[in-house]
Amino acid sequence: MEIKLKKYSSTYIIEVAGDMDLYSSFELKDVVTKMLAKDIKNYVIDLAKVDYIDSSGIGVLIHIYSNIKKLNRILKISNVHGSVEKVIKLTKLSQYFPIVGSVKDALLLIEQAKKGQ
Amino acid sequence: MFENKKIIIDDNNKLLNRDGLFLKEFQSDFRQVRFFSMVIVQKAPPEIKEINLLEQQISELIKNAVKHGNNKDINKKVRIWAAFDTSFAHVIVEDEGEGFKQLENWNKFNKKRSECFENQDFDAMEKYFEYRTDKSDENDGGNALFATLEYWDGGVVFNAKKNCIAVYKNFEKKKHGIDLNK
Repeated sequence: MEIKLKKYSSTYIIEVAGDMDLYSSFELKDVVTKMLAKDIKNYVIDLAKVDYIDSSGIGVLIHIYSNIKKLNRILKISNVHGSVEKVIKLTKLSQYFPIVGSVKDALLLIEQAKKGQ
Repeated sequence: MFENKKIIIDDNNKLLNRDGLFLKEFQSDFRQVRFFSMVIVQKAPPEIKEINLLEQQISELIKNAVKHGNNKDINKKVRIWAAFDTSFAHVIVEDEGEGFKQLENWNKFNKKRSECFENQDFDAMEKYFEYRTDKSDENDGGNALFATLEYWDGGVVFNAKKNCIAVYKNFEKKKHGIDLNK
């Protein structure tokens, strides 16, 4: 799994590429945990290049989102597709996760949320 | 209508019948869980779509057997029986562990989780996102079996010792041409 960070205004886009499985998912958790410690407020996790997720990956997304919510920060998850979308649906978490279409949608929603704060 | 799906415990269930299934045996090498799953899935006919999802679902069963059943003891085996067709997948995974003792508790937990979902009450559902035991570690998602029960629509069955799980999935056949009955 590869993780690339891009910054747009005060939002960090975390581009994940590869499988989010039992061997690799912890890497994303570690990255976001470090970012939370650095007081970063807004996050987009982009899954455009992730075609495979398992229960470990789902667990990591749950962990990340619940921590971000607790700290009153914002997360959007973009470009969920294929079997990743299916696994999230099978786990009944499609409506729980803050899933949006594209990175652009995510950034727009984050800007709107910031204005509302 | 609230649908109460649950894992069945029944030594005599037909899903535990191994007739006509091929057998593969693996040592409990945690590093190779996904490789084992791919070895099984490669027997599936090419007509089956979403092979990624099938591999993932089988991989979860093997992971549970290797990690929770056999405690990654390399001397303990995982036995996998499987049969695939264009219309179904039937898989049985057996480990040499003591069995999933908390299965009845898991069914209760899942019932509560499903009720929260039916009510779209995600605040309440948060308590039931992950099923954890004193043996769970931080890398356990604790959510694999929820998806197992949804994906394997033909049933999820354990034997009475609870160290063997059998699952069955029906695949929809893609319809071609015009349906004259319509």
